[in-house]
Amino acid sequence: MLNETLHALEHWLYYTPVGELMRDARWAWPICESLHFLGMSVLVGVVGLFDLRLLGFARAVPIAAFHRLIPLGVSGFVLNAVTGFCFLAGTPDQYLFNLAFRFKVAFFAVAGLNVLAFYSTTFHRLLARAADAAPPLGARIAGSVSLCAWIGVMAAGRLLTFFRP
Amino acid sequence: MDAVFLAIESSALSTWLRESPSLWVFPFALILHTWGLAFLVGANVVIDARILGLIPGVPLRSLERYFLVVWVGFWVNLASGLALLVAYPTKALTNPLFYAKLALVAVGFVTALVIRRRMRALPPEHDGPPPAALVRLAGLSLAAWAVAIPAGRFLAYTCTRLMVDSPC
Repeated sequence: MLNETLHALEHWLYYTPVGELMRDARWAWPICESLHFLGMSVLVGVVGLFDLRLLGFARAVPIAAFHRLIPLGVSGFVLNAVTGFCFLAGTPDQYLFNLAFRFKVAFFAVAGLNVLAFYSTTFHRLLARAADAAPPLGARIAGSVSLCAWIGVMAAGRLLTFFRP
Repeated sequence: MDAVFLAIESSALSTWLRESPSLWVFPFALILHTWGLAFLVGANVVIDARILGLIPGVPLRSLERYFLVVWVGFWVNLASGLALLVAYPTKALTNPLFYAKLALVAVGFVTALVIRRRMRALPPEHDGPPPAALVRLAGLSLAAWAVAIPAGRFLAYTCTRLMVDSPC
C-alpha cells in the first residue's frame, strides 16, 4: 500500500516539467545544490543561534529583538523546500526509497512539531520575562530539540548519496 | 606535481579515508564539513544582518559571542577539509576552482575578524546605526560567502582528475 503510493508519487514527480528540467539542463543540479547550501546556512544561522540563545548562549542578546530575524531563517527554509523539490522531481527514486531520506523527513517532523509546541506554550511566557533572565526549562528543551533536529537534517541530507537504493 | 599527489594517495591515511566502508570516516568528514559550513556562514549572516539594520533592537556589541560560533565552524571545516583533501588531493589541487574557493573563504574569514575588531572598538552601550565602514564590511562578508558556497559545490562538477591515474 505504502509502496504503491510511493511509486505513484515517483511517477508523477519524474514527469513534472521541473523534473525534466533538472535532468536535461546541464547546470541545473549544481545551481540548485548551491542555493540549497546557501539556504541551509541562512536557516541554520538564524534558527541555530536562536536555539543557542534559548539555551542561554549569548545572553546579552535580547530574545524578542533577535526573534525578528526569524522570517530571514524561514526564507532560507522556503528556498530549501523549493530546491529540495527540484532534486526530488529530478530523481525521485533516489529519495523516496532511500533510508537517509526517511531519516531526514523524520528530523523535519521533529523540528516542525517542536516549532508548534514552542509557539503554543513557552514563547509568550518567554517574552514576558526580563530580557536577560535565565531561560525557563521549556525554552531550553525547545532549543535543544530544534538544534538536534536541524543537525540531524544536515547529517541525513549529506548521507543521501551513501544510501542510494 | 603528480609525484606528490601519488605519494599522498598511496599513504595509509589517504587510503583509509577513501576506502574505509565505515560511515564514520569519509561520509562523516563530509557531514562535519556541512555542519561547520552552516554554523560558520550562518553566524556571519546573523552578524551581517544586524549590521545592515535587520534587527536594530539587538545591541551590536552583544553579537560578540557569535564570533565563537564563527571560530568553531572555521576550525571544524579546516580540519574536515584537510581530511577530504588528503583523501583526494589530485581532484582538488588540479581544479582551478578549488583555489578560487580557498581565496573566497579567506576573504570571508578575514572580513569576519576585521568586523569583530571594529565592533570591539565601539563603546559597549553603542546603539546608533553602525559606522559606514562596518556596513561595507558586512556587505563584503555576505558577498564572499554567497560566492564561496557555489564555488565549493561546483568542485564536484568541474574536476577533471579524481586521482593521479583516474579521470573524474
